[in-house]
Amino acid sequence: MDRHDGFREFVLARQQALMRTAYLLTGDAHLAEDLLQSVLMKVVRQWHKLSKDGNPEAYTRKALVNQYISWRRRPRPEVPSGDPPERGLSHDDATLDRIVLRQALAKLAPRQRAVIVLRFREDLSEAQTAELLGCSVGTVKSQTHHALARLRAVAPELAHLLSEQEIVEVAR
Amino acid sequence: MTRLRQTLNDIADEAPLVNLADTAIAGYRRRRRFTTGAAALGTALVLAAATAATTVPWQRQQPAASQDAGTVPDLPAGKIGPLSHAYRTRCEIRPQRTVNCDEVEWRVVTAAGTTYRVPQALAMTTKNWSVPVSISRDGRMLAYYSRQAQAHVVRDLVTGAETTSPVTVEEDRIGIGSMLVVSDDGRYVVFDPREGSKDPGTLIDVRTGRTAPVNGKYEVISVKGGVVELVRYVKTDLWLMPVTGGGKPVRFKGPYIMFNEVSPDGRTVAAVRWGQGNQDVMTLLDVKTGRVVRRLTMRGLPKDRFAHLMNTGPWVSGHEFTVVYGAVGGRAATYAVDAGTGRTRRLTGYGKAGSLVVPGVTEVSQ
Repeated sequence: MDRHDGFREFVLARQQALMRTAYLLTGDAHLAEDLLQSVLMKVVRQWHKLSKDGNPEAYTRKALVNQYISWRRRPRPEVPSGDPPERGLSHDDATLDRIVLRQALAKLAPRQRAVIVLRFREDLSEAQTAELLGCSVGTVKSQTHHALARLRAVAPELAHLLSEQEIVEVAR
Repeated sequence: MTRLRQTLNDIADEAPLVNLADTAIAGYRRRRRFTTGAAALGTALVLAAATAATTVPWQRQQPAASQDAGTVPDLPAGKIGPLSHAYRTRCEIRPQRTVNCDEVEWRVVTAAGTTYRVPQALAMTTKNWSVPVSISRDGRMLAYYSRQAQAHVVRDLVTGAETTSPVTVEEDRIGIGSMLVVSDDGRYVVFDPREGSKDPGTLIDVRTGRTAPVNGKYEVISVKGGVVELVRYVKTDLWLMPVTGGGKPVRFKGPYIMFNEVSPDGRTVAAVRWGQGNQDVMTLLDVKTGRVVRRLTMRGLPKDRFAHLMNTGPWVSGHEFTVVYGAVGGRAATYAVDAGTGRTRRLTGYGKAGSLVVPGVTEVSQ
């Protein structure tokens, strides 16, 4: 037993879920790993406090999203992944949707991308998203609206994904 | 579930499996060394023997080795040729979120680019402590711990000769952060059971079985020309101890970490001044007087914000020494640093691995 055992346990249990979020945010496997890695280094530093009276996962998720936005604020050329999709070679509709959405997400501003991931994949409420991003609910609403509009503009072929009633209502 | 969510989930499914706990802890510890007084336990690089600046594998440009877990052959007996580097495979993450480290193993990559498994080299103890391997600075000798022999083994990759140390080392002695260094001729290994502790290390002559204790306050950097280079952190002392014992430490003014081997002319070592805030600045120190010879800012290193100095390495000539530079969780490469100007040139890049060992340098966590 050492003092990092609790941290190890937490990472082993949650790292894959966090990695999926990181991957959605960055769109690149290596960047996602770097992002999560740098956040986990912060978490391990705070572990003593977090494990006692904090919520490690909430802290980690918040740090992950904010670190991602912080990275993207700095000048950095967009580096689309050179890796081919690892799953499924058949170009069925779902595969095409995935490829097009990945490309479209890469064209969003960091906060817009984050709200898409948090609202539509993580299923967070506007208030939860605002809390996580450290902004107002109004900002989340406007970012969501602009993000969806941008997706529709850059990827009109995704209209069938973005025109579902549930999505439209969220964007109002 | 909306189709948008389903598609986002599909994309998320492409995320690679990772095992980041130990890498994060290693990165955190490394950062602490630069930001707190924990430099005392600083990572010591290990450089191997040979006084002459011989040709090392780094001088040849090597492609990064494939880290893919595919069908990799076992290291065959006989002549293989010098090694480029070694790496330890990662633990397997299972879909049920359990981790299996049973299959963790050491692999070596030859200078020619062929990868081999080394199943005879123990990678993890029964207590799940990492077990190190060491590669001599010319890439010729590979030292590892054999569970079967309960001893260290030195394999000459050029002749194929293998020497098992007659000195038994119980597996239980291998603790957290244990270190291993092999000399270029393969005759000596230095085993430190626990880096940063006062638990003494052991200098082993694998031919005769003769042993000598190594003061636990010191960490071993190299065994070169019959002299063991030892460093004591915080104070900071450098002790060039003959393998027969003796010698006297020299003290440097100020804390230094990440020492490399003594230069071919026997006069200087390169190190990083702890607390200077800029890891790209190296200091050359006089090993006789302890004085600062020169500070040099390394120029030409990649501008990746996550990249940092991981370790220093052997001298490739009388005026160039090497460093390992890369990002935790990312890729690393060795660079030659001009000891006069600080200008760097890239030598060899490595693929991503949890742990990497390059000739003359101890394990670095990527």
